Order: sequence, then C-alpha cells, then structure tokens
Amino acid sequence: MRLLAGLIALLVAFPAWADCPLDLGRGTGLVVFSSHYMVAFRPEPMRLEVGEPFSLLFNVCTKSNKPAELVAVDAVMPEHKHGMNYRPTIVSLGDGRYRVDGMVFHMPGRWELSIDVRAGEESERLSHELILK
Amino acid sequence: MKRWLLGAALVALTAPVVAQAPLPWSDDEVKAIARHGPWPPPVPRDPSNRVAGSRDAVVLGEYLFNEPRLSADGAMSCATCHVAGRDWVDGRARAMGRSELDRRTPSLWNVGYAHWFGWDGAGDSLWSQSIRPILDPREMAGDAARVAALLREDKALACGYERAFGATPGADDETLLVDTAKALAAFQATLVSPRTPFDSFRDALLAGDREAMARYPLAAQRGLKIFVEANCAACHFGPRFTNGEFGDVGIPFFTRPGAVDPGRLDGLAKLANSAFNLLGRHNDDASGTRALRTRHVQRLHSNFGEFRVPGLRQPGTGPFMHNGHLATLDDVVKHYSEVSPDRLHSDAIPLVRPLALTADQSADLVAFLKSLSVDPPARPAPPPLCP
Repeated sequence: MRLLAGLIALLVAFPAWADCPLDLGRGTGLVVFSSHYMVAFRPEPMRLEVGEPFSLLFNVCTKSNKPAELVAVDAVMPEHKHGMNYRPTIVSLGDGRYRVDGMVFHMPGRWELSIDVRAGEESERLSHELILK
Repeated sequence: MKRWLLGAALVALTAPVVAQAPLPWSDDEVKAIARHGPWPPPVPRDPSNRVAGSRDAVVLGEYLFNEPRLSADGAMSCATCHVAGRDWVDGRARAMGRSELDRRTPSLWNVGYAHWFGWDGAGDSLWSQSIRPILDPREMAGDAARVAALLREDKALACGYERAFGATPGADDETLLVDTAKALAAFQATLVSPRTPFDSFRDALLAGDREAMARYPLAAQRGLKIFVEANCAACHFGPRFTNGEFGDVGIPFFTRPGAVDPGRLDGLAKLANSAFNLLGRHNDDASGTRALRTRHVQRLHSNFGEFRVPGLRQPGTGPFMHNGHLATLDDVVKHYSEVSPDRLHSDAIPLVRPLALTADQSADLVAFLKSLSVDPPARPAPPPLCP
C-alpha cells in the first residue's frame, strides 16, 4: 500500500512523466529516478530467493521524453565488495521496455542494484538497494 | 544431605522428560533457523534428464552405480569411492582412483538438489558430472564404446535400459554413455539425507513446543547460536546448509610442491569446453530454463582457489574440506576460529574471519554440526532389474 501511495505521489509530482508506463504487466514494480531518468522495474518471479535465477523487467523513461536505452544492469554486495557470479543479458522489448535475464543473488544480505541508462550522449547510473533474507 | 537426596529424587520423579530448559531465542534467530528447513524438501526432478524421477531409471542407475565393468580394467565402480555405508564417501583425505587424486571424494547425499557439481563446479548437471569419472583416465578410465557395448550386450542391463528409456540400446555410443549417466543421475537424486536432531529442534522451535525443544542438547543449542551469530549461513544457507556456490575459506592451494589447484577457475574452463554441458545437444530441457546458469555464469579472477560450498548435512566422519585437509569436525571449527585474515586478503567485511572461539564455544559448535547427522538407515538391496 505504501508503495502504491509512493507511486501515486511520484506521478503527481512529475506530471510530465505520466506517459512513462509503470505498470510492468503484473502490477507496478519498483521505481528509481534522477533529474533526467525514471526507471520502473520488477523482478520475475516477484519473490526473490537466495541462489535462484530471476529476471528483471524494466521500463526506462526520460523527463524530456527522449528515447532512452538500458545499457547495463549489475549488482554487488557493498559490505563484502563482491558482485554476482553471473553476467546478466539485456533484451530490448521495444518502447523503452527491457528484459534482463541471468540475475542470481547467491547470498542473503544487502545487494545494490546498478542500472546504467543512456539517452543520446548522456548516460547515468541509477541504483537501488535490495535486502535479501 | 538427606534433604538434598530427597529433592533430587523428587526432581527425577516429576520431570523425567524435560531435564533442561531450552535456551531463549530471539525473533531474528528463529527466522534464521527457520530457513534451514523444512527437511526433507520435495525430491527434485531435473528437466535436463528425461528419465529423472523414473522408477525404472532409478533401478537401472543403482545397478550401473555398482557396475565395475564401466571401468577400463573392470575393477572400479562409482561405489568404490562413494560407499553407501559411509555416507557416500570413502573416508580418505584424497580419493584413490588408478592413482591418488588431488581432492576428496564428495558425498552424494542431497546431490540432486545441487546446480553445480564437483568441487570446482565443472559439471552443470548431475548426469554430466556422472560422465566425468567414467572417462577420467585417473579414475575409471572408461570410454563411450565400452559403456555402450555393455548396455547392448549384457541382457539384464539391456532390459533395464529398455524399461527406463522405452527403447533398446541404440547404435550411437555417445548417446548410450549419456543415457548411462542419466540413469546414474536418476538414482543419485534419490539420495536424500535423513532427518536429524536439528530438524526436530527447528520444527519444535517454530511450533513453540518447548518440551520438544528441550530434547535438543544444550551444547548443540549454544553451537547453533554461534552458527547464526557468525553468519555462517551467508554461504551455508537454506535447508541443505549451502548456497551451492563457491568460496575460498583459507585452505592451502598447493596440491604438492610447486603445484596448485585453481578450483572454480579451472572448473569453469572445463565446463565451457565440455561436450556434455547444458548448452549441448544432450540437454533434454527444451525450455532452456535449466541451462540458464550455464549461459550466464562468468569466469572471474577471484574464482581462483574457490571450491564448492558443501552442505553440512550428513557429511560423514571426515576428513573434511575439498582436499581432506582437516581430519575432524574439531579441526574444521579450529580452522574457522583461527583462520588468517592475511591469507584471505579481503578489503571489505570478510565473509570468513577468525571466530576466536573459546574451547567451550568450539565444543558447542562441533556439537551443533554433529546434530546435523544421524546413523543413516540401512539401505535395502535394489529390486531386480528385469524380473
């Protein structure tokens, strides 16, 4: 419920981005944003398990409505300074939507997801923290 | 003195079952312990193996597991090293094939739940891993032609093959080698370790059954607290007490003077070059799901000296670690208590760090680890292959 309220607040606060569909097919996922980009994503399956492969579905938007590209996705455990043992691949689904396969969080704890996006010459790294128990 | 004796007698009469109160457990500890069960989980079924879960394949697999004619000199079977009555290991620090190998025979308990196989993870399926010792010149030194001929020419095995695979053994040697391995894998996937005192305690803890909890020895409870507090579950995660991945825990790399075992780094190279990996033609999983890890796994410099995190259930009586470097569970706990941070050269919060345990704490941790084992039930003889 809090997530939903947050998303509604986001849409009210950023009416120019209302065209960036946040519904990723099975309810709304998580949102990260900067002054230029807004990225909505959700895992598939929705529930992440330690050591189990999962995918991420992305929708990448820009404030200026320019086309944007998802360049790279990775994850690290900042406390232990190690990343994943697996290299994810990105498939474009068109219209700013992407599917990232091959994600595996092989340990419980705090993971920092990095999302590299680009619109034209400008690229930026957005990040999001996930706690896996 | 008389009053003391009377009091002791009264206690003995009124509390014959609950001789101790269980330790207090916080909500976080209960959640952490809950993740190590329930046990056993459902028996897994590998989609890359079309005969996984087939009763006929399990029976054929058990016969093949004990079949020395798969080896070049007819003297060695899978069961030579993976001994049923010894928790599927041989009790040696380093396995003995046609010569001594560099690593310990891994246990087969719960191997069907794994996703990487062998100490270096060179196998991405139980069936592909089962091919390796058959062909390895240091182990069974067999070959596809020998295995295929055995399946075609031995009447009982040919009959068992037809039951399991729905056709008589064909002409292609490599296919018959792979099918042999798939029957072996079907059998090995049934080797699920029995429930243990830890499982009874874990279930009682979740149910709030203090009387049942109290049957778990206090030393094991204290050891479990150390296990949780030390975050051992970062790697020894979940019901099997392993996340199935790889780590360097400070065991020496050297196999002999001047020679090192690169572990996972070498295993990933072998995986990529294997004709039997899940990206090849022998994978029966048309959906491609089972090959996901193989497709995405990355080979990193940090993989050097990493070995598969073993599950902690039913590990046998030792020796332990990938190369049998530590003889007993006491030695294993001593290693984690005293491991050198310099050897692990971590510039972050290390996953493995010296626990600096007292003698009593070490004994408690050993008591907990021992509570993950029981005497395995006697194994019945397999049913006839083709009655």
